[in-house]
Amino acid sequence: MAIKLSRRQFLAAMAATGLSLRMPALRAASGEKAIVRAIPSSGERLPVIGMGTWRTFNVGGDQQLLQERTGVLKRFFELGGTLVDSSPMYGSAEDVMGEALDTLNAHDRVFAANKIWTRDGNATRDQDRASRRKWGVQRFDLQQVHNLLAWEPHLETLKQMKAEGNIRYLGITTSHGRRHRDLARIMEQEPLDFVQLTYNVLDREAEQHLLPLAKERGIAVIANRPFQGGSLFRRYQSEPLPGWAEESGCSNWAEFFLKFIVSHPAVTCAIPTTTSVEHMEENMGALYGKLPDEEQRRQMADYVAGL
Amino acid sequence: MTGVDWSSYSLSDFLMFGPEVFLRLFVRINQDVWPWQVVAVLAVLVVAGLLVHGSPLAKRCVLLLLAAAWVGSGAGFLMEYYGPINTPATWFGWAFLLQAALLTVAALVWPWDETAAGPVRRWQAGFGWLAMVSLLPLLVVAQSGNWHAVALFGITPDVTVAASVPCLLLMPRRVRWLFLLLPLLWSLFSAATLWALGTRLLFVLPAATLVLTITGFRFSPRSEQSQD
Repeated sequence: MAIKLSRRQFLAAMAATGLSLRMPALRAASGEKAIVRAIPSSGERLPVIGMGTWRTFNVGGDQQLLQERTGVLKRFFELGGTLVDSSPMYGSAEDVMGEALDTLNAHDRVFAANKIWTRDGNATRDQDRASRRKWGVQRFDLQQVHNLLAWEPHLETLKQMKAEGNIRYLGITTSHGRRHRDLARIMEQEPLDFVQLTYNVLDREAEQHLLPLAKERGIAVIANRPFQGGSLFRRYQSEPLPGWAEESGCSNWAEFFLKFIVSHPAVTCAIPTTTSVEHMEENMGALYGKLPDEEQRRQMADYVAGL
Repeated sequence: MTGVDWSSYSLSDFLMFGPEVFLRLFVRINQDVWPWQVVAVLAVLVVAGLLVHGSPLAKRCVLLLLAAAWVGSGAGFLMEYYGPINTPATWFGWAFLLQAALLTVAALVWPWDETAAGPVRRWQAGFGWLAMVSLLPLLVVAQSGNWHAVALFGITPDVTVAASVPCLLLMPRRVRWLFLLLPLLWSLFSAATLWALGTRLLFVLPAATLVLTITGFRFSPRSEQSQD
């Protein structure tokens, strides 16, 4: 039986098909390959979009919000994400993550990245143990010294723990562009697997020295605050995406901001945070399709700076 | 290695939760403690009546009811609900219990006199206090758009502290500062938190407490009213 379509219906159907092809859920379901980057020290490949838990997963004993966050994590895994990052600094976020992983029975799907956050340089193992109990994991895939706090003793212990097989990778973190000089010195001297730093379309100081250094030293880079704590959306969401954004593989602002970050050759993954399944789906759109090239990246940065 | 550059931090960098989680605390505690809200409302009416009465026994009862309110908001809201997402709230919870103990001692031990103010001023004080304690809880409702988030005296800390400070003005000036210290610290902490959260309507709560507290530190009742 022939189906007659009006011109308007035909165009609507074509648009819907085009839009649906851009939906990360369909892309994941259709077997489209997620964009991955190798961890330089091992060659293990990681999806370029991870998930942070700062502020978003600290919901205490709120069962309703716990359920909502579990939904966000579920969608993250469904759309091909693996790396989740948390810290003892983030209130109840580690407990909430543990409960969500239990509910989803997803301990084997997560690349668990956590941090050591204590001034007591002798407390590395104790804090790692406490965090593992909260997450419900046997060991962390990645354990990082948070914000360079007491980094020397913690890093020494983390090296021992890695040698013993109690963690798989070690790293060190900073944020908000702080202490880059110190971080560079550590990157030059220590055998790091990962560094975590703030990098986004507006905060680009890391491009000057840290990202080239990471590339040179074979250190994986996790970019935090990819949306500048949400302020990029507050500033630009009402603005139109440039006409050429599609050519750069971006169909919304979340993809635009994230693809700018992960298209830098030194960046291994970005860790946006969200409390909404819908936003998670937008974020995970950056895990698929093409990435902007060097010229397009320049164009993206110029466009945002010019708004 | 250089140390921490504190000037690069903003208030919001120290906040590990968002406004949604914070406002849900009020909804959750109201769901969990029902029907204790009825007792809280009755306590408010009783305190207003006691302020109007003004006898030494009435003052002792006011302080005892305040002590109960500090225990309720400290052990309940701060330690059970707020503490898990914001560690300093737990420390404040313990401080609220200490304040309750101090109020209890003051109620039972201090040699209270008859209030020197006349009946008209006592009525004004009682009704003024009642109006304040009736209106302040609605700020959380206005901020969250949810009636279940109403912040009651004796259950939530900001309203309890704001409502306590005018009652503490009953105390002789030479000991009053001791009871005003925690309201001062709490209102500074709360103001900083609410500012960073961007819940500007709620900012009225600690701001009102701060004004009342500073008044309490400076205000000296007329000599015929003073117990000094």
